[in-house]
Amino acid sequence: MSERIFGGVLVLISLVGLFIARGFEAPFSYEPVGPKAFPMIVLALLGLFALALVFGKTEKTAWAPGPVMQRIGLLFLVVLGYALLFDRLGFVIATALVTLPVARLFGASWKQALASGVGLGIGLFYFFDRLLDVALPTGLWLNAITG
Amino acid sequence: METLTLLAQGFAVAATPENLMIALIGCFLGTVVGLLPGLGPINGVAILLPIAFAMKLPPESALILLCAVYAGCEYGGRISAILLNVPGDAGAVMTTLDGYPLAKKGLAGPALSMSAVASFTGAMVATLGIVAFAPLLAEWAIAFGPAEYFVLMVLALSCLGGLVGDSLPKAMIACLIGLLLSTVGIDSNSGVYRFTFDMLHLADGIPFIVIVIGLFAVSEILLMLQGLHANPEPIALSGRMMFNLKEFMLAKWTMLRSAVAGFFIGVLPGAGATIASAMCYASERRMAGKDHQFGEGDMRGVAAPEAANNASANGSLVPMLTLGVPGSGTTAVMMGALTLYNITPGPTLFQDQPVIVWGLIASLFIANVMLLVMNIPLIRVFVKFLSIPVWLLVPGVAAISMVGVYAVHGNTFDLIVGVLVGALGYALRVMNFPIAPFILGFVLGDMMEQNLRRALSISDGEIGVLFSSPIAIGLWVAAIAMLVGPRVARMLDSRRVVAQA
Repeated sequence: MSERIFGGVLVLISLVGLFIARGFEAPFSYEPVGPKAFPMIVLALLGLFALALVFGKTEKTAWAPGPVMQRIGLLFLVVLGYALLFDRLGFVIATALVTLPVARLFGASWKQALASGVGLGIGLFYFFDRLLDVALPTGLWLNAITG
Repeated sequence: METLTLLAQGFAVAATPENLMIALIGCFLGTVVGLLPGLGPINGVAILLPIAFAMKLPPESALILLCAVYAGCEYGGRISAILLNVPGDAGAVMTTLDGYPLAKKGLAGPALSMSAVASFTGAMVATLGIVAFAPLLAEWAIAFGPAEYFVLMVLALSCLGGLVGDSLPKAMIACLIGLLLSTVGIDSNSGVYRFTFDMLHLADGIPFIVIVIGLFAVSEILLMLQGLHANPEPIALSGRMMFNLKEFMLAKWTMLRSAVAGFFIGVLPGAGATIASAMCYASERRMAGKDHQFGEGDMRGVAAPEAANNASANGSLVPMLTLGVPGSGTTAVMMGALTLYNITPGPTLFQDQPVIVWGLIASLFIANVMLLVMNIPLIRVFVKFLSIPVWLLVPGVAAISMVGVYAVHGNTFDLIVGVLVGALGYALRVMNFPIAPFILGFVLGDMMEQNLRRALSISDGEIGVLFSSPIAIGLWVAAIAMLVGPRVARMLDSRRVVAQA
């Protein structure tokens, strides 16, 4: 069933995409194939194979059982939060904050989670920023204090 | 002779102290990533690529690092296969069949050292194969025009689509989503904004690294939570560590045969290490006749898949280097790495960038010697990594992935897109969509479109140019055969099984 729903979503995407791609007009052009041909071919094929998915033989999708799915959703939100806060809080704090729930989700005790959060935050910052010269955000809050 | 001179130049590049150090680090990291269950070569290369880029390594050093990681992963996968009965990467699935029974018999040491030698044999044979065949193929491919190139990429995509996964629509959908995402951004020929939805950050297109990290790091983390179960205790290493002469004599031809076969399977686009190791294991088992212990702990049962696995991993570098058309997910990521450095892989690579190509080939030789040395005496060090708790590993992978994406443009937008792509990748993988065609489509999308437009510009819009030359026709036929052939063969096969029953 999930496959058919996903196929349906893809059919929609391909139709909307085709509609958008129709409007790709080059203001002036000196080649026979403009900017819209390739995306339109791809979208049309995508629509066709998505239809095949909707009406063809499908297999049952083995989604994780409910409670596990909730934890996966939670993990996704935590990682998304990580992405949002990465710049704002700075690497050290964001990593420490995110490691705590992630480590807990993967079965660490509170003590282990706390220790790995602090350890990863500081350790990786030192490793990348200082040792490997990969610039990492220190966080907007720090800039506000130090001016 | 010319090849030898070029190879010598390659060694001069690969043997600078800095590059030797990079290869050593890459080998070590690769083996560790390879032995961790869940993380395979593609994750290792995907996670390390942005870091290498952020460290501003010169292109040849970055490639040496990635190739060393790639080679190392192929060695690492066998360690968890033998000691845990859990393949560290997909290519090591067959190694569990005899590796784990051997370990249970108390022969873990000999099984590990034998498989290390087999890996080394496979990798060396394949690297020699690259030296012998790649320049020839590159020379031949220079005759390709834009039309042939376009069809060649269609062939590469349909090879992967035909061989990976069971469902044709799913493989094609994965590949088409990749192609579609590659069109996002300003069209370089006309300046038209495509699918940017007025978002400034999308004007340059979705960065390759964002897609790679999303698909292979973020989605992997989500999958790891789904597959979370108590890790079995690894079997302790005890007794003798080295295989003896008798075991070696038993397996030596197995290794060589599997290495040669693995190389040629690897060169074919689409057929990767998994197929090579499965085929070689099956044929060695058949050739062994009655006198064997395959399945219950036969040395040949670890030698065959490991030799084939490593040989095909190296063999799959051939189409990437010579044609600019990667044949597997991992080589697609590596090709993306080249394009980050504004190097276009393809037949002209051997002429334009001899330093990079031959430096890379030479570093494969060096990396494999390093790996052999690391993997026999230092095996106990690597075994220690098997006990890294997953609750430390996952946040670490998440943090390193974010660092990699952030290093590209330093904005939050890319990070968010990466996480969203990760969720898409997770859903696709749970629904059994193959992911390799996705990344291949994304990497090849731009080149495909450019070559299609160039071909049609030359012919002034006449579509027949795509079917005019004999090479193009041959490639079309091959593409259709690869797309349909494996499925028809499988169908006939299953029908025969039914008939026999």
